[in-house]
Amino acid sequence: MDSEHAPLLIRNQLKPAIVIFLFITLITGIFYPLLITGIAQLVFPAQANGNLIVHDGNMVGSALIGQPFTSPEYFWGRPSATSPVPYNAGLSSGSNIGPSNPALTSAVNTRVEALHAGDPANTLPIPVDLVTASASGLDPDISVASAYYQVHRIADERNLSEEDVQTLVTTHIQPRQFWILGEPRVNVLKLNLALDDMTANPVVPLSAIQPDLSLPEESGLRIPDWIYLALFIGVFVVTIVPLGRFMVRVLKGEPHLLSPFTGPLEYRILAWSQVNADDEMDWKTFAIAMMIFSLVGIVFLFTLQLAQPILPLNPAGVGSPSWDLGLNTAVSFVTNTNWQAYAGETGVSYLTQMMGLCVQNFTSAATGMAVLFGLAYGLSRRSSSTIGNFWVLLIRSVMILLPLSIIIALILVSQGTVQTFGGPITVPLLDPVKDTSGALVTTQTIPLGPAASQIAIKQLGVNGGGFFNTNSAHPFENPTPFTNFIEIIAILLIPAALCYSFGRMVGAGRKGVSILIAMTIIFLPLLGLAIWAEFGDNPAFTGLGIDQTTTDFQPGGNMEGKEVRFGIMPSALFSVVTTSASCGAVNSMHDSFTPLGGLVQLLMMQFGEVVYGGIGSGLYGMLVFVIIAMFIAGLMVGRTPEYLGKKIEPQEMTLATIIILIPIFLILISTAVAVLVDPGKTAVFNPGPHGFSEILYAFTSASQNNGSAFGGLSANSIFYNLMTAACMFIGRFGTATLTLALAGSLVVKKIVPAGEGTLSDHRPLFIIWLVFVVIIIGSLSFLPALALGPIVEHLMLGGGV
Amino acid sequence: MQDPSGIRKTRTLLPAIYKRAVIDAVIKLDPRQMIRNPVMFVVEAGSALTALLWLQALSGNGEAPAGFIGAISAWLWFTVLFANFAEALAEGRGKAQAESLRKMRQDTQAKKLYLGYDVVKGREPVTQDYLVVSSSTLHRSDLFYVKAGDTIPVDGDVIEGIASVNESAITGESAPVIRESGGDRSAVTGGTVVLSDWLIIRASAGAGEGFLDHMISLVEGAKRQKTPNEIALNILLIGLTAIFLVVCVTLWAFSLYSVQAGGSGIPVTITVLVALLVCLAPTTIGGLLSAIGIAGMDRLIRRNVITTSGRAIEAAGDVDVLLLDKTGTITLGNRQAVDLIRIDGTVMLDLADTAQLASLADETPEGRSIVVLVKEKYGLRGRTVGATESGTGMKFVPFSSQTRMSGVDFGDVQIRKGAADAMFRHIETSGNVVSEALRKEVETISLAGGTPLIVTRNGKAYGVIHLKDIVKGGIKERFIQLRKMGIRTVMITGDNRLTAATIAAEAGVDDFLAEATPESKLNLIREYQAGGRMVAMTGDGTNDAPALAQADVAVAMNTGTQPAREAANMIDLDSNPTKLIEIVEIGKQLLMTRGALTTFSIANDLAKYFVIIPAAFITTYPALSILNILGLQNAILSAVIFNALIIVALIPLALHGVTYRPMTAEVALRNNIVIYGIGGIIAPFIGIKVIDMVLVLMGVG
Repeated sequence: MDSEHAPLLIRNQLKPAIVIFLFITLITGIFYPLLITGIAQLVFPAQANGNLIVHDGNMVGSALIGQPFTSPEYFWGRPSATSPVPYNAGLSSGSNIGPSNPALTSAVNTRVEALHAGDPANTLPIPVDLVTASASGLDPDISVASAYYQVHRIADERNLSEEDVQTLVTTHIQPRQFWILGEPRVNVLKLNLALDDMTANPVVPLSAIQPDLSLPEESGLRIPDWIYLALFIGVFVVTIVPLGRFMVRVLKGEPHLLSPFTGPLEYRILAWSQVNADDEMDWKTFAIAMMIFSLVGIVFLFTLQLAQPILPLNPAGVGSPSWDLGLNTAVSFVTNTNWQAYAGETGVSYLTQMMGLCVQNFTSAATGMAVLFGLAYGLSRRSSSTIGNFWVLLIRSVMILLPLSIIIALILVSQGTVQTFGGPITVPLLDPVKDTSGALVTTQTIPLGPAASQIAIKQLGVNGGGFFNTNSAHPFENPTPFTNFIEIIAILLIPAALCYSFGRMVGAGRKGVSILIAMTIIFLPLLGLAIWAEFGDNPAFTGLGIDQTTTDFQPGGNMEGKEVRFGIMPSALFSVVTTSASCGAVNSMHDSFTPLGGLVQLLMMQFGEVVYGGIGSGLYGMLVFVIIAMFIAGLMVGRTPEYLGKKIEPQEMTLATIIILIPIFLILISTAVAVLVDPGKTAVFNPGPHGFSEILYAFTSASQNNGSAFGGLSANSIFYNLMTAACMFIGRFGTATLTLALAGSLVVKKIVPAGEGTLSDHRPLFIIWLVFVVIIIGSLSFLPALALGPIVEHLMLGGGV
Repeated sequence: MQDPSGIRKTRTLLPAIYKRAVIDAVIKLDPRQMIRNPVMFVVEAGSALTALLWLQALSGNGEAPAGFIGAISAWLWFTVLFANFAEALAEGRGKAQAESLRKMRQDTQAKKLYLGYDVVKGREPVTQDYLVVSSSTLHRSDLFYVKAGDTIPVDGDVIEGIASVNESAITGESAPVIRESGGDRSAVTGGTVVLSDWLIIRASAGAGEGFLDHMISLVEGAKRQKTPNEIALNILLIGLTAIFLVVCVTLWAFSLYSVQAGGSGIPVTITVLVALLVCLAPTTIGGLLSAIGIAGMDRLIRRNVITTSGRAIEAAGDVDVLLLDKTGTITLGNRQAVDLIRIDGTVMLDLADTAQLASLADETPEGRSIVVLVKEKYGLRGRTVGATESGTGMKFVPFSSQTRMSGVDFGDVQIRKGAADAMFRHIETSGNVVSEALRKEVETISLAGGTPLIVTRNGKAYGVIHLKDIVKGGIKERFIQLRKMGIRTVMITGDNRLTAATIAAEAGVDDFLAEATPESKLNLIREYQAGGRMVAMTGDGTNDAPALAQADVAVAMNTGTQPAREAANMIDLDSNPTKLIEIVEIGKQLLMTRGALTTFSIANDLAKYFVIIPAAFITTYPALSILNILGLQNAILSAVIFNALIIVALIPLALHGVTYRPMTAEVALRNNIVIYGIGGIIAPFIGIKVIDMVLVLMGVG
């Protein structure tokens, strides 16, 4: 192949790009959601359709979606930040108020006063979850402590005995799932329905269990939390090797478990697109194929969004987005970022979700995997010139993602993640509420859709683009503590196992596992810091009469923007996992995390999204750091530096340095632009340093293809839509193309055999050195900016050094 | 000319070098020169910017007090000057050497032979045969004539004649050497002087491109090109500098926003941002990088090794296979007699006497060692030729390739010695029988890797002389060190496998190539290279040239032939084959010094952040003062001063290189990370605090 003739090269790849794109759209955008919907409707009809509660023959709501309760005779749920009315299921939303924002303290104070006004005799400290807004605005649960706190008021208002109400609460406690996962909690709607029943027909429940309220207070991690963390790590220890091995087999085209299904499919797609599986590509051809395929995806997704009003499968009748939002979303999903400037409930039709977003969740992840394998070929082949065939690697990567997604989607559905083509349903409110204009709202409209199929790949493909606005905080996206656990696992499953796959590709699994260990060494202390910070009290709440301690009855800690069913540790874990892995799915509102919690999220991304990172992209990003680390280390032992026997020379250093520079430049320069111009500044929601963190977070997330956000920032404006789209595009394809160039530059080299004089590429010293280099480059680039954001916010909030 | 080269005598010139380096440091401030070192160019630009800000402050409307800006600016200029000084100092040493070399390299007269001059063996050209021209007009492959007292005008090959030549100009060795046509001593170097006799030489290089010219340009650093590794490191340093440039520029915007958002304080000043940039930029390594490279070359030259490119030094650090000639490198030049063995009841003293007689006229080292052995072990003094006990005249029989024996005849006595198979034939043709005992002894010696020589008197075996290669003292330990460094040693020898294996085991080499031919050497190198290994070898003969050309690091002996010298990328003026090991060490030391200073430089930045950020933003966010863990009064100025002084402090390290001891890569990395990584994190905390305390004592701040 003559690589000098770029136009010809482009023409050669255009046909396979279109044909393969269409086939993958057919498989992952139509067949896959239909399959999941079919099974879901057949096997889990209640769960797939929203866990609706039928009470006395009437549909009264969803067990998973909270309702607003403001009358004193009902148990109140958690404060909701949705508008124009609390618990507006039509548009889920968190408050996004930062911990240092005076508005938070005053809002909490108002709620405290309302509770005191409703029950002046009650002077007990108020459980923190009862006065802090939930992440989704639809949290169906309150903590056990919050329910007990309200017993006195309810008994008074309803003329019931306190014991009876207390017993009712006790019988409604949902314990931790499987004794370990999540928080013990009480479903407010179900409790209130039972309360109404009891008031109408006062029969004392038989089992009058008296709760022991004098449990010793524990702070921080409880035993179930430790078991949770151990399980979390345990899953990876168990899956890395088999999954890593499986992926190598699939990608190398060796026979595997699913060959009977995937083999003929792959053969057909390649035949129709006239790609010869044995046609190896040099790096330029590989890069051109990748770019054309991605551009086809952007064009398709852009068009699909704009055309969604006139296309089928749009039961909620959503319109088209503005061109800049459409472009932003298209780039966002093709670059595996899944930055969401749109709201899923109101901005995207089912068809766009399935055939647009869901497809890109597969292909963008598969593209990352293909590039990683290109680099692995570059490092493992000796004096060659080709780094594999992009199309073959792409299709095979999809074949890895698809079966795993099916499994995860079905687990999610079984727990209550919705999967239906039915449109939104309307249910009556038990306790009608006034909206901001004063009008009485008596119903709640609950959105549905084929969510599970997309959420599975959104987690697994480290994409993060949610079906609903509040992503995995939404009870329909992440209904139970168990789904939360599965979603966390799904994020890291492939990035972790890919390390082992890479090791096998280049000679020995341990060479990849050592990199995984290096990642974990960075990950664990930061995870610890985030968990510790989130368990901590908000000093601004001191004196408000709020109980922020963690006990078996309440999650305590920083509950603003978190859901009761998850609690503190799993929310912090989710946030660190999602930022470490370039995923961007969230189960809690990052904007409302403590300054140190937010700092950890920022650092995880600013370390280059290489601690696990995206599918493929995390590891290939890390390998660039490895090359730089080995270069300096090689010098220190007095040899021309080498990695895996490949000498690191000026060309490799140039490419590696530019790859490292790209996201750093993008983040710092676009943040600087945004803080200087009005469209950038006015989008900020929280005041002071936290507002600066919002902008910094946005461009960090976009440039590193993470996709999560400090959601307070009003990012749906021309300025942010275009700026973040540019960051996402360059941050993804700039680095991917240069990584392929690096592969091309490495593949032609000889391999120097290892000996006493060569540096180990897997022993502890290598691991520690790699960790040092990653941390130092990340910190040196971002410490000043972080000092003006989360660090100073933490200090100002009264935290120590 | 007892001390002509000055190569190893640079110390006497040191004060002059310092003076010159100071001047050069200022001259190097020229931005057109500075741009070649982007890291330091950025520092210079920052220095200039702060100087302008200082002028602005002097006029009364500066962004900060003029005294502060002035002090920062001054120290930034010092930072640049210190870096320039380091480079100038490194270059200065080379320049001093070049100076003394150039004195030798005046334009000389050349006796150019007319085209078509017919070279006849043994005939000295006469005046009519040549034209006296300036040496600068000589071209490659011109023929010229030199006689006693002439300076050889350009490099060349002797094609006729034999002469003694004073080569002290390049080797520093005052003893004259013999140069003659053919063989391994045919190469002559321009600038050396013929002491006796005459030569006809074919020029192998034109004027100005000869060996001495090359050496001058090398030591001067004029032709010094950046080596690949240096370029790669430079790219990384530029990348880091670019990051810090962006960090500092964007920090200005962040600061503006923070003042707006916080509603108090003043934005960070440009002076502070420039100070931060310079402190963060890898100035320590950036400023010393070229000095390290020049000093590495210099170290090699001081060990009397000339290299054709800096690339070769770096390659030397990477070598993982050393091909070493057995003779002269691993073993003493020659085999020596170590034992005499009686056969079939001969008297020991008779055997000793016979062996001595057989070797009297044998001028080979082996022959002489037999005489010495007999003398030392059996007290028989060497007798002069012609004075034997019988008084009859002795007739010596020299070694011939037909008989493969040598010996002596006197009267009716025939004494012979020679290799076993030839002697067996000799014994049998003399009508005697080769006894089993004799065969057995011969075999025993062979199996032990020795060489048996059989001594006969009148066709009757008297005994066997055991000749053995003697491994050089200390060489085994050297190889153990090399193995620790991950370098395989391979012994090259013409001996048979058995002998080679024995010596190899005794010397402790990893492998050997027996019965080596030029082809097998070349193939061996290719084989190693195909496996991805870097091969180094030494050689001197013309038949080594292909292998030298193939090897990654090829060191030719200065006494070697011109083809060998041309094929090599290094020339050892001392012609010492074991120097290869030192060359490897210098190569490694060069890279290690770079790596160590890079790590140190980057590790320093952590402390500088802790120092500068609280100081820079304290007016915006007083809460940040908690981060001023050192309690500094003049944080920014102290950091800038530390940053400048650390360059000066590390100049000796840059010039001498980090201490090198043979060890595994793992250990070397661990040590260097501890010293330069962890040390690099801690050192600035201490240094900056001390400087701050000194400043406070001096009443600043």
